[in-house]
Amino acid sequence: MRALGDRFGSALAPLAVAAGLLVLWQIAALVIRSSYLPPMTEILPMFGALLWSGDIYPDLASSLARLFVGLGIGSALGIPLGLLSGRSRAVENFITPILAAFYPVPKAALMPIVMLWFGAGDLSKVLVIALTVSLPLVYHAQEGARTVEEKLIWSAQAVGCSGFRRLRRVILPAALPEILIGARVAIVIGVIVTITSEMIVRQSGLGNYLFTALDMGQYAMTYAVMLVIAVLGFLLDWIFETVRRRLAYWAPDRREADLAATS
Amino acid sequence: MKVAPTMLNFLKRSYSIILLLAGWEAAVRLGFAPPALLPAPSAVLVALVRDLGNSHFLSDLAVTLYRLFTGLIIAIGAGVLIGVGAAESRLGPLLLEPLIRVLAPLPKIVFFPAFLLLLGFGSSSRIMLVVIDAIFPALLAAYFGARAIDEKLIWSARAAGMSNAACQFRVVLPAALPGILTGVRIAIVIGCVVVFLSEMVTPGDGLGDALIRAAREFQTVQMFVPLVTISLLGFILDYAVVRVRKTLVNW
Repeated sequence: MRALGDRFGSALAPLAVAAGLLVLWQIAALVIRSSYLPPMTEILPMFGALLWSGDIYPDLASSLARLFVGLGIGSALGIPLGLLSGRSRAVENFITPILAAFYPVPKAALMPIVMLWFGAGDLSKVLVIALTVSLPLVYHAQEGARTVEEKLIWSAQAVGCSGFRRLRRVILPAALPEILIGARVAIVIGVIVTITSEMIVRQSGLGNYLFTALDMGQYAMTYAVMLVIAVLGFLLDWIFETVRRRLAYWAPDRREADLAATS
Repeated sequence: MKVAPTMLNFLKRSYSIILLLAGWEAAVRLGFAPPALLPAPSAVLVALVRDLGNSHFLSDLAVTLYRLFTGLIIAIGAGVLIGVGAAESRLGPLLLEPLIRVLAPLPKIVFFPAFLLLLGFGSSSRIMLVVIDAIFPALLAAYFGARAIDEKLIWSARAAGMSNAACQFRVVLPAALPGILTGVRIAIVIGCVVVFLSEMVTPGDGLGDALIRAAREFQTVQMFVPLVTISLLGFILDYAVVRVRKTLVNW
């Protein structure tokens, strides 16, 4: 019963905290009484209306489409590159300085430059998202491949498993728990860069919807859209974390400090 | 002559980036890429050096630096205080951990419109964005760093007659310092990125705004200059913390 209680508690605690934050908000809004800080009793109905009317769904869909295509391309490039660099010194020495130089660059800020080359459409945004999310994927795949138990590789070699097969059949599964941690960071960063790029180049998507509401002076709506994006970010992370725990149930759990490294 | 081997070592470690820049430069010079779309690295460097004497650019840089450092100081100071404080108290696992689990994965930039409404379009809203974005790495590092301390260290300090507050400063903080500095490194880079993006999203001033202004006039070289400046700034500050960490944490 203790374990069940703990699991229940760990699911309830964030909900309780979220509810507490909403109540604090309501109190603050009632005290300050400014149209710039509408109370939750105005924002939450707007949030419901937004989801009920379906007005926001086209933008939600275009944001999600960009995010997932970007994540797909980023994984297809980042994971193999990371695995390879975890097993080969030469590859590692080659990509490490490039990654280190690229790390402090504000990636969403590349939007105006990438748009010069690929136009103002979805391609530019997807490329910037893919580039951004590939960084944590490369890093964690590398870390995972580097720490694969050498005996596994020796036994694969001994039964005549070739280089590429070894990478796919031995190193990839062994590195999977670490790769999935990278994927979690990639999703969180991916949401941020998707929204930010839509704020910088305003055409469609949730970031655009948010600033359109702000520009039109619909403040309760602005906060409702903020809530939609926040809930989306939280839900995506929660869903992936549930899947990750299942896929990597045999690997030792790690603390959540990795998530701090996002922006 | 110790210079030659270090120089050689540096070349060996970073040859790929030099190769990349050389290839980029060659591609532009040989006409494979039109300079109007992709300026040569040398052109960007020349423009950057020239801009360092330009008062307009310097005022943008100063505004960005002011926002960045104010935000970082608040975020790191508050993050370390709260983190170390909560690690010792019972409130930590009860209140702080669920709070972190809700707030840390949120894309903090969505709160920027709220800061714009409440704090105006000047510096305060951008500083606030830096604070809420950079506080989490500092806070998490301090919290987990302080929690991982060997209890015996604290017991012996308390047994030797040290007060609780003194113990926090003289025992807990130094022991958690390596972890905290790692958190500070992440906070610094996040701060640089976020202050720049906030200046791009809403017009006004600062390096991010300089990029948007250049983009409107299709001044490709001038688009790269602010981007390279903020990236170099992040790189240098990050490196500075690595050096500080090496000298401070010599045990």
